[in-house]
Amino acid sequence: MIESQRHSYHLVDPSPWPISGSLGALATTVGGVMYMHSFQGGATLLSLGLIFLLYTMFVWWRDVLRESTLEGHHTKAVQLGPRYGSILFIVSEVMLLFAFFWASSHSSLAPTVEIGGIWPPKGIGVLDPWEIPLLNTPILPSSGAAVTWAHHAILAGKEKRAVYALVATVSLALVSTGFQGMEYYQAPSTISDSIYGSTFFLATGFHGFHVIIGTLFLIVCGIRQYLGHLTKKHHVGFEAAAWYWHFVDVVRLFPFVSIYWWGGI
Amino acid sequence: MWKRAASLLLARRSAVAAQRAPAISGSAASGLRRAPAFFSTLDVGQARTRVEDVMPIATGLEREEIEAELQGKKRFDMDAPVGPFGTKENPAIIQSYFDKRIVGCPGDEGEDEHDVVWFWLEKGKPHECPVCTQYFKLEVIGNGGNPDGHDDEDDHHHH
Repeated sequence: MIESQRHSYHLVDPSPWPISGSLGALATTVGGVMYMHSFQGGATLLSLGLIFLLYTMFVWWRDVLRESTLEGHHTKAVQLGPRYGSILFIVSEVMLLFAFFWASSHSSLAPTVEIGGIWPPKGIGVLDPWEIPLLNTPILPSSGAAVTWAHHAILAGKEKRAVYALVATVSLALVSTGFQGMEYYQAPSTISDSIYGSTFFLATGFHGFHVIIGTLFLIVCGIRQYLGHLTKKHHVGFEAAAWYWHFVDVVRLFPFVSIYWWGGI
Repeated sequence: MWKRAASLLLARRSAVAAQRAPAISGSAASGLRRAPAFFSTLDVGQARTRVEDVMPIATGLEREEIEAELQGKKRFDMDAPVGPFGTKENPAIIQSYFDKRIVGCPGDEGEDEHDVVWFWLEKGKPHECPVCTQYFKLEVIGNGGNPDGHDDEDDHHHH
């Protein structure tokens, strides 16, 4: 019926990935709870669930790439879907991280008597914000600048240059994650050290996790750019990755100012 | 960007106004709906005329859409049917792939316009609008059958 299709929408074929993703998520949450409560087999179920989930993500997105790039199902009307979807997803992510900063501010603005009525809590060692945290803060916005370079290269049709720009973007992202890992390794407190450790590692950890997600997203874009999938006129996947990356790099400024600096001195 | 979007909108509006519509049709029959035109970025007026110049790897429907756009044509039939006010002698003909289609009547032009009234227009059963007496008739141009996709025969045709 393709020849006579008079509407511009993509009516998708049946796919096993929604149900396999759901089962993977179920195994991950149940396994995660079992693991954290030291049930037998918890670690196994959690690992299997995560593997299942990651596998589903891979094959599902692989199918989407096939449908769009190789089969041409993504007409202009269809491209609006992932666009709006990405924007709404990022908005929801902003709200998630907002909640973590709220938690941190809630605990630090009026420190309770249990933690000595002071912030950082009595006896808690904190990182010097003017060492690695300061060094690490401009790296992500720099990487955001590099992804803009990549975007301009794509729009100008400079295919090789776009690959180089994405390599630069991803390299900066990896340096940032490396520093974050180093910082965690040398941190004087852990996530179980008072409300300070809980809020600090929840906020910075979730941010770091998002940096890793964004890095993977950009790596996929880099590979697709290298393969010639992204064109001047159609590169929705790259745009979504770039929006996500700007969200991640801007959000880095908040933990630096409010948690490392204001909350750590 | 806003200026561009606004001018696009204005252009669309005046285009719609120019061909005042006695009949707006719903999506049921062939699953058709209007797509926003905000992201239409191909410069038709320029010398580029081949898909290869615009998007070399485009294939399938995407390629057909670009090709039609370069030729100043529309690949998809997403617009509401328009035409002169339908009368008993000269009904408003609504095309449909199936044996029935949801249609909306907006009345006649200007003063005689009314809120859109929706109804099912079925094959062999002309419909007269209870508000403005506009007369509609269905013309089946496809395989016929039910638009819900649960036909007894011909099930494999639905995409």
